[in-house]
Amino acid sequence: MATATLTLLRSSVVKKAIMGLTGLGLSGFVLAHMTGNLLIFKGAQAYNTYGHQLTHNPAYPLIAIGLLALMGIHFVCGITLTWENKRARTQGYAVDAADQKAASLASRTMAGTGSILAVFIVLHLITFKYGTLYTITHDGVEMRDLHRLVIEVFQSPVYVAWYCFSLALLGFHLKHGFAAAFQSIGFGHPKWSAHIKCLAVVYALIVALGFISQPLYVYLVHR
Amino acid sequence: MTKLDAKIPSGELSQKWSNRKFENKLVNPANRRKHKIIVVGTGLAGASAAASLGEMGYHVDALTIHDSARRAHSIAAQGGINAAKNYKNDGDSVYRLFYDTVKGGDYRSREANVHRLAELSGNIIDQCVAQGVPFARDYGGLLDNRSFGGAQVSRTFYARGQTGQQLLLGAYAALMRQVENKNVRMLPRREMLDLVVIDGKARGVVARNLLTGEIESYEADAVLLCTGGYGNVFYLSTNAKNSNATAAWRCHKRGAYFANPCYTQIHPTCIPVSGDHQSKLTLMSESLRNDGRVWVPKQKGDKRPANEIPEQDRDYYLERIYPSFGNLVPRDVASRNAKKVCDEGLGVGESGLAVYLDFSDAIKRDGEDTIRAKYGNLFQMYEKITAENPYKLPMRIFPAVHYTMGGLWVDYNLMSTIPGLFVLGEANFSDHGANRLGASALMQGLADGYFVAPYSVGNYIGATKMEKVDTNHEAFKTAAAESIGLNDKMIAAKGSQTVDQIHRKLGKIMWDKCGMARNKEGLEEALREIPKLKEEFKNDLAVPGDGSDINQELEKAWRLGDFLELGELMCRDALNREESCGGHFREEHQTPENEALRDDENYCYVAAWEHKGEGQAQELHKEELKFENVKLTQRSYK
Amino acid sequence: MNLTLKVWRQKSDKDKGRFVEYKLNDVSPDVSFLEMLDVLNQDIIHQGHDPIAFDHDCREGICGSCSMVINGSAHGPDKATTTCQLHMRRFKDGEVIHVEPFRAKAFPIHKDLMVDRSAFDRIQQAGGYVSVNTGNAPDANAIPVSKEYSDMAFDAAACIGCGACVASCKNASAMLFVSAKVSHLSLLPQGAPEKHERVLKMVAQMDKEGFGNCTVTGACEAACPKEITLENIARMNREFLGGFAVKRK
Repeated sequence: MATATLTLLRSSVVKKAIMGLTGLGLSGFVLAHMTGNLLIFKGAQAYNTYGHQLTHNPAYPLIAIGLLALMGIHFVCGITLTWENKRARTQGYAVDAADQKAASLASRTMAGTGSILAVFIVLHLITFKYGTLYTITHDGVEMRDLHRLVIEVFQSPVYVAWYCFSLALLGFHLKHGFAAAFQSIGFGHPKWSAHIKCLAVVYALIVALGFISQPLYVYLVHR
Repeated sequence: MTKLDAKIPSGELSQKWSNRKFENKLVNPANRRKHKIIVVGTGLAGASAAASLGEMGYHVDALTIHDSARRAHSIAAQGGINAAKNYKNDGDSVYRLFYDTVKGGDYRSREANVHRLAELSGNIIDQCVAQGVPFARDYGGLLDNRSFGGAQVSRTFYARGQTGQQLLLGAYAALMRQVENKNVRMLPRREMLDLVVIDGKARGVVARNLLTGEIESYEADAVLLCTGGYGNVFYLSTNAKNSNATAAWRCHKRGAYFANPCYTQIHPTCIPVSGDHQSKLTLMSESLRNDGRVWVPKQKGDKRPANEIPEQDRDYYLERIYPSFGNLVPRDVASRNAKKVCDEGLGVGESGLAVYLDFSDAIKRDGEDTIRAKYGNLFQMYEKITAENPYKLPMRIFPAVHYTMGGLWVDYNLMSTIPGLFVLGEANFSDHGANRLGASALMQGLADGYFVAPYSVGNYIGATKMEKVDTNHEAFKTAAAESIGLNDKMIAAKGSQTVDQIHRKLGKIMWDKCGMARNKEGLEEALREIPKLKEEFKNDLAVPGDGSDINQELEKAWRLGDFLELGELMCRDALNREESCGGHFREEHQTPENEALRDDENYCYVAAWEHKGEGQAQELHKEELKFENVKLTQRSYK
Repeated sequence: MNLTLKVWRQKSDKDKGRFVEYKLNDVSPDVSFLEMLDVLNQDIIHQGHDPIAFDHDCREGICGSCSMVINGSAHGPDKATTTCQLHMRRFKDGEVIHVEPFRAKAFPIHKDLMVDRSAFDRIQQAGGYVSVNTGNAPDANAIPVSKEYSDMAFDAAACIGCGACVASCKNASAMLFVSAKVSHLSLLPQGAPEKHERVLKMVAQMDKEGFGNCTVTGACEAACPKEITLENIARMNREFLGGFAVKRK
């Protein structure tokens, strides 16, 4: 029984469902992250206080570990699937399908965009999470001055460009991933699928533009 | 001349099948495991027989020339399958289906066989529905029916325009289940090249592995031939490109009589030939005649586009001549009338070899959406091939070779003149007489496979003492060597004509002289021309490559070799039958209204031909047809 | 019209294979793609060479034998069309056309454009049936089936098993094929009793055959000559996950 269950767990449908579920979890996370980032427009105090409260929430370690696990599983599962997919076709075609029979670019490049995003996340954590630790006191509470770090980092046009590029890529990844996740967990219906696709585009645009607004704002306004 | 014993059971017509089932010897379930059966061909008849025999516990070897059993040409049947369910409450019954089929076959079929077919028709629908065949349903969730030619009741069950595929997928799924259960061994991409007869009984086959070129031998206690018809003799037909008569013909050469080879069905509604390179013809389902009206212009040479020809200048000739059946006359009648109006110069289209099938009235009455729901895929297919929109312009159609009623002679138990060789489906001759009604081929294939063969084969095995044989037997070696020799000769000819070139020539001879209308002069001419063509085939054939590998040209070559011989026999049979009946129309024998004129006095028999050796004329045997229930009359659809 | 054909020629699965160029003159726009290949093959035979091997049979779009990728698209550029229904009027004079076999590890090449699709049969054997022996059926009208479900089942059952979904998927995934088979039977009351067992077994066999996974690119749906939709894949996923959850052993 155990082996049978294990085989089933390893099946492509389950792996895809895991991709979908972890993907949806991460989608929720990036939306929340992006919303928090928007506090940059309100000022340093709001920005830093939000960060402070978040990291000092008793559930924070749990959430952090959960997120890490989501990313880890999404990543490992993605690598496995990609590896299997490569093996399923060892020789490609001389010409690509065109016009009405071509698949969308976003859907064809999920593994590529995902890999770049993985690199981006690591660098992002190094830059900010584990970056220079400035402190500041707001309303008598000493806390990390993340605002200062952000302003510092985004003075560099290279950083701004890298962020804009990666976050646009994130939007691209989400546009397909968000809709496909529903399909992978078994939610596909002629009446709703088109709406989900629309929602995915709107959602991806909001997340990507919301994220990109921060480096751009910092670079252009906080000189 | 030997007397052919059809082994028709005793008793009342409606009791015959029950009586036979009771008389039959049985094989107990534990013993069935000890018997092996070969099924050649996995279309409706083959797949259903192999699956049913597997379910019963026999070991079955199923050979198919295709890569998968699902690709057999039964898949292409469009319109539907008849069954006397009387779900429409319009007066249908087993007896009426029996009667319509005998009459539709122009009184040249065996009453007992046809009655059994009608009796079993209902069970087929039950079985298919249970397998998950998605037949059309009405809004109440019950099965829907439509009408087909030659009947005044609605008894045709259908699954949009692909009833054949859905039924075959049902039988194929049942077959795959038996493969999984290890009762059936699938042998795909194998073509049977010879029947092995030992002690007068069919004991196995030799087949070519189409991928490796190897000649393989398989032994069994009974062989079921389910290899379809021989319409491809005509080169252009609605049959699939790989449909062929080789297995049946090679059995004929081993002693199985070939019955009524001249009975060919020319289907009235096909897309007309468009050019020289055409490789096959495409059928438009007969169901279209439910709503489409057939017409030609009244004036010769009227070159106006169809939609500019006013109502009073159109001749709806089927409705005019046959007011009670109208556009739903049987196929032979519809085809012949199409040919007649075209011969009179009234044909339409560039070649003048087409008539209109017009849906504009139906679209006006029911709306385009309703017509689309009913026939959408057929209309789409038509548009793809002709680049014309049939919702706007009437379809152009012309008759084409579609089905062969003739085939290997079988008795009531579907056994050929070789004991142990059973023949099912289109490959046999038994149920359709001289003309098959629409939606009856699927019915016959499945009746034979699901419900007749399991009883008949069991009876044969139960009643026959058989020595054990294996494939080391001399007979297997001889058959294999002969097949290899035959193939080697074709490869060695190294001539200048390809198989297709010679096949097209044969097709032209057959279509012109043994097609929709035949006459003595033409048939005699054909019988002079075909032997010449056989010589060309022997000496001037170009088959590239060798026999050790995939060689599609070689496959085509051996099939053509057999078609040439079969074509000759068809002409001989047509010449012998000095009457017109169903699909066999001899111009010398017609009524003043140009209808087929039978000669019941002299030709109320099945012509069964016996092979007498290479290069010799076959010998004719007659099975007298006795009609005890149906009165022979001039068929009238007026 | 004049055309340049680049056709994949490969002697067997072991051989390496390459494109061979053929020039065709005066091709009639009214012939089908396969008839165009017939004409080419006649020329090749007359020149004493080995003609191009390709699978074909019914030539009316239902047997599912055609297995060619034409200019990168399975069954060529048109939607809802098999190669045998594709006509040369669809191409431009002077066009260069690449013709390749369906490519997937699970579809080894037999020769030239002929591939081995027996994996589909094995998937079907794993559970693509209703377990009903001949003679066991109740009356056909004993169980009403709603027209909506019957039509949905038909839409899925229209699959001709050609493998264009596998050929066109960048991952060579067979999800569309398997889901069509699963949906056809599970949507009908006759197939419902076995629906969990069926989907679990068929997916397991699919994985075993070495097909890739679904990335929901929709290339399969676009290539499918019978317009089988992605909805079927969602249904299969749903039923698989449900079956996985409730199955007792």
